[in-house]
Amino acid sequence: MQILTFAGIDIGSYEVGMKIFELSAKNGMKEITYIRHRIELGKDAYNTGKISAQRMNELCGVLAGFVDIMREYQVDAYRACVTSAIREADNGLLVLENVRVRTGIDVEALSNSEQRFLGYKSIAYQGKQFEEMIRKGTAIFDVGGGSIQLSLFDKDKLVTTQNIRMGILRIRERIAAIEDRPERQAELVEELVDSEIASFRKLYLKDRDIKSVIFVGDYINYIVKTFRKDGSLVVAREELLAQLEAYSRMKPEETARKLGIPADNASLILPSMIIYKRLVEMTNAEVIWAPGRNLSDGLAYDYGERHKLIKTSHNFENDILAAAKNISKRYLSDKAHINQVDGLGLQILDAIRKVSGLGPRDRLLFSIAVQLHQCGKYITVSKAAECNYDIVMATEIIGLSHKERNLVANIVRYTTEEFPTYEKLAATEEIEEDTYLRIMKLTAVFRAANALDRSHRQKIKNMKAVLKDYKLQLNISDNVDLTLEKDALDDKGDFFEYVFGIRPVIRQKKKF
Amino acid sequence: MDFLKPEYYRNRELSWIQFNERVLGEARDKTLLLFERLKFLSITASNLDEFFMIRVASLKDMVNANYMKPDIAGMTPSMQLEEISGKVHELVGVQYSTLIRSLIPALKQNGLIFVREHEELGEEDAAYVDRYFAENVYPVLTPMAVDSSRPFPLVRNKTLNIGALVKRKPEKAVGKAEDSGKEGQKDEVEFATVQVPSVLPRIVELPPKSDGTRQVILLEEIIERNIAKLFLNYDVICAHPYRVMRNADLTIDEDEAADLLKEIQKQLKKRQWGEVIRLEVEDSMDKQLFKILKREFNVKESEIYRINGPLDLTFLMKLYGLEGFEQLKAPKHVPAPVPQMMGEGSIFRKIRGGDILLHHPYQSFDPVVDFVREAAKDPQVLAIKQTLYRVSGNSPIIAALAQAAENGKQVSVLVELKARFDEENNIVWAKMLEKAGCHVIYGLVGLKTHSKITLVVRREEDGIRRYVHLGTGNYNDATAKQYTDCGLLTCSPAMGEDATAVFNMLSGYSEPLTWNKLVLAPIWLRDRFLELIRRERDNARVGKPAKIVAKMNSLCDQEIIAALYEASAAGVEIDLIIRGICCLKVGIPGVSEHIRVRSIVGNFLEHARIFYFLNNGQEELYMGSADWMPRNLDKRVEILFPVEAKGPKEEGKHILEIQLADTLKAHVLQKDGLYEKVDRRGKEPLCAQEYFAGEAWEMADAAQEEETLNDRVFVPEEPVEE
Repeated sequence: MQILTFAGIDIGSYEVGMKIFELSAKNGMKEITYIRHRIELGKDAYNTGKISAQRMNELCGVLAGFVDIMREYQVDAYRACVTSAIREADNGLLVLENVRVRTGIDVEALSNSEQRFLGYKSIAYQGKQFEEMIRKGTAIFDVGGGSIQLSLFDKDKLVTTQNIRMGILRIRERIAAIEDRPERQAELVEELVDSEIASFRKLYLKDRDIKSVIFVGDYINYIVKTFRKDGSLVVAREELLAQLEAYSRMKPEETARKLGIPADNASLILPSMIIYKRLVEMTNAEVIWAPGRNLSDGLAYDYGERHKLIKTSHNFENDILAAAKNISKRYLSDKAHINQVDGLGLQILDAIRKVSGLGPRDRLLFSIAVQLHQCGKYITVSKAAECNYDIVMATEIIGLSHKERNLVANIVRYTTEEFPTYEKLAATEEIEEDTYLRIMKLTAVFRAANALDRSHRQKIKNMKAVLKDYKLQLNISDNVDLTLEKDALDDKGDFFEYVFGIRPVIRQKKKF
Repeated sequence: MDFLKPEYYRNRELSWIQFNERVLGEARDKTLLLFERLKFLSITASNLDEFFMIRVASLKDMVNANYMKPDIAGMTPSMQLEEISGKVHELVGVQYSTLIRSLIPALKQNGLIFVREHEELGEEDAAYVDRYFAENVYPVLTPMAVDSSRPFPLVRNKTLNIGALVKRKPEKAVGKAEDSGKEGQKDEVEFATVQVPSVLPRIVELPPKSDGTRQVILLEEIIERNIAKLFLNYDVICAHPYRVMRNADLTIDEDEAADLLKEIQKQLKKRQWGEVIRLEVEDSMDKQLFKILKREFNVKESEIYRINGPLDLTFLMKLYGLEGFEQLKAPKHVPAPVPQMMGEGSIFRKIRGGDILLHHPYQSFDPVVDFVREAAKDPQVLAIKQTLYRVSGNSPIIAALAQAAENGKQVSVLVELKARFDEENNIVWAKMLEKAGCHVIYGLVGLKTHSKITLVVRREEDGIRRYVHLGTGNYNDATAKQYTDCGLLTCSPAMGEDATAVFNMLSGYSEPLTWNKLVLAPIWLRDRFLELIRRERDNARVGKPAKIVAKMNSLCDQEIIAALYEASAAGVEIDLIIRGICCLKVGIPGVSEHIRVRSIVGNFLEHARIFYFLNNGQEELYMGSADWMPRNLDKRVEILFPVEAKGPKEEGKHILEIQLADTLKAHVLQKDGLYEKVDRRGKEPLCAQEYFAGEAWEMADAAQEEETLNDRVFVPEEPVEE
């Protein structure tokens, strides 16, 4: 039996953790050890904007220890990621460079949406329970040290996901700066939390029936565990709220003792309890589930999935697409046109697959770009392309890395604007050559597909795209007038030929 | 009901003295073999030395610091010291009367003359010792005289010395004295002292008498006889042995110590310099000499022990080692092999066959050594982790760990440097392991790591598998022959995960989110014990059967005792098997009527900690490294582990049952606070230790027989593992 040993390292805002897993086709993911070290990187980052030398050195020491442990288990692969604390620190890159040089660990700075997507994957790996739960309205609240991620599911699909920069450590720091009386602190935390979640509530929860809440977070695990019956980590709303209420009134040290939380973590208990409480109260969920997974599980899951050791019934790409669709809906996009462009564009992509150098991930990114390409019009028609770019860049799209989001934003922009040279684009944003090329290719396909629905009337119902001798034949059997589309494709075809050396042409077989 | 009243508790020091009296009882037991009795007497002496250095010293510190807080029995430190002095003086009296009146005459009857004083030597023997002195002793002696120009010398802790009064010989001073007319100067008596060298054997055997009777004399007698040869220009007025004990409590403020290792090394040197807390002198000592000692060592009358006989009875252990007299010594105990460990195949496969309980010294300690040894060589082993508390010299375990590191395994060892009196020893081993490539952790700041746990991580066909040994005693193959202890070998994944978490914590990482099976001090253990006791109490209150049997070395934690009282008051039947200190009192109406306490003092030192809770029929059995003492529960890293597999659990319960049935070596605590031997009327004589020894061999023989039977059948070789 092939077993891969994998280490997932999560450098969070108040804790550095490493989980080591055995991944195998037979047993799936098996956690064999979980090592944690408490270090409040967020305290530096959120207060001063920098990670201090002292904390950086401590971090290097901890990670060097992790390297020893990885060696001990003869780990085949690892992935180490930082979250908001280092992402937000001015010297984040420098810290990671020092870590790399001193410990040999390459640490990735994940974008928030990538990070959350991984966390979410680890929950979805729980399988049945997850699948059943998200059939009805479900909220996933991922409460971290730096921020909270709020995601909503309905009918198996991700509806939205929003990030609120209000994690437990950040709140503690902000409150500690203005108030040191414990009893007043609780009130302030509550006010702060309410104000932050108010707009989310208004925008997304108003007409939605949330039946269950899934929590991700260190402290909720301790609480839900106390209710555990036969290994189930689900608790009823009223029970949990009563406990949270009780704990938020207790002294943090006492709560820590009752729940078995290490005493040095006590200062984070109060903000956690109040956040959990307010989040549950915000919904009308009846059951709350804390599966006890975190980013490290997600990293391992992702690795196992890529190495075909782990399979899941859940289609994560659909979630990403569903999220994009919901964004597009919010900006009142033309759904029929989008579906048309998506369908035709994917046909073109498939036809030129062998010569385009574009893969399955590009296919997904293309679909996302199509979904989002009309958002800009919502703001102003005259500067739609520019606005579109800005909207995409400012929107959280779960599952996409920063680089991918940037790629999508450029596609939607340059589908209508003149395509810039590399030098020109690189002057305005950080972009690598291969990304530039991917943008160019996908834009070329996009323009062609868009041209095929120039009239926005979805005239083409039956099309077959065939690549033949540097020509992309688009065989259309619909008995419709395609004058507008042919003209548009003639125009956009130049760019397509410029990019791929292939000319798209419409061949309409009219049946009279 | 207030279960905390001081009158419900016994002072721990006084209870300890009672324990030493029980050991002394063994020395006085005429049914025992003579040389065994010598051994017990020697043990009482070394026990007493340690008691002074740690406990009495600590009380002195408290008094010096004006610390007046009474203990759980309501006694202030100075009250305790006063009581201790009285009790110890009595104890010492019994020690010497046992030696002089009983043991020495008995030795003589058995053909060994113990020459008490050099004056008793015959001419030939006298010549023999004088020659011995000239050849062996004289060259290593460092006599020191004291006068106004030479300060009083440093007399080292626990050493035996001979103090003398000397006077300058007149002929040298004659001329001067007449000139100056200062008569007084030549009469001036000076103090001189010489250490009885610890490098030479304390017992010197003389040539046997013509009838074959063997005879021995103590080294200090030989020196005393020849003392004049040390002070040639002086007349020796008198010479007598004396011995001092100093405050040797090693307290390190760990928060202050930047480098723990260096700090301990520094402390070790300092240890010699503590204040004197006990002065032992020969009772016939010259008054003037005595006065000088008393003044120079600054001791009070209660700290002085006048002794009729040889000082420092620990030499009796050496006398035990004298060749011959085998019929007067118990036959050497040979531990039995462990049935589950018999036969071919790797130890790991045997452990996979089911949890294995080891009962030392009845069963061999070899499986524990082999566990580490095999792991060191096994190519599939990734890592070995172990806590080491007291390690024997030339420990095979240390050698195996070093070997493992050299074989490329990840080896982590926590070496506890704070183990009492063993620091120097441990530092040597720790450094050696470090050189071999092991990751050595030098203990934890503020905590003594007392847990005994070994973890072997192995990569097998279906992934990582962890093998764990948990014990009640130290990884010391030497003491494992003397101490009764239990150990569990298991590869249960739950235990394995917990063991990993233990070592993660010891390496400075955060505690795990949950523990599966293990309970650790100082964070969780106290609460768990209280919970377990209270669960029995609650069961008793609702009329369910409730019972606790606990075996340990000492019981002196107030909170635990109060919980036991409360449980007893609720009707829980409680049997305690406590070898040493017990601050709990039995038979207090309404408080402890359901509690019985017994102490087993025998050939082996009872050392295992076993805890049984009836739990309304869902019996739970635990073993561990912790006593019910505040230091174990609050200041140490200790591990309590459940024994859950059916076989080992039954064996564990069996150990408790047999100990509760002992009629020969058990002493039962009475209402009046005294211990008495079991009333044997109508009972089968049973010595638990002998029973276990016999049983272990029976089991081994039976298994061996089966093994031999099986050998007649041809067994196809199994495919080579992995």
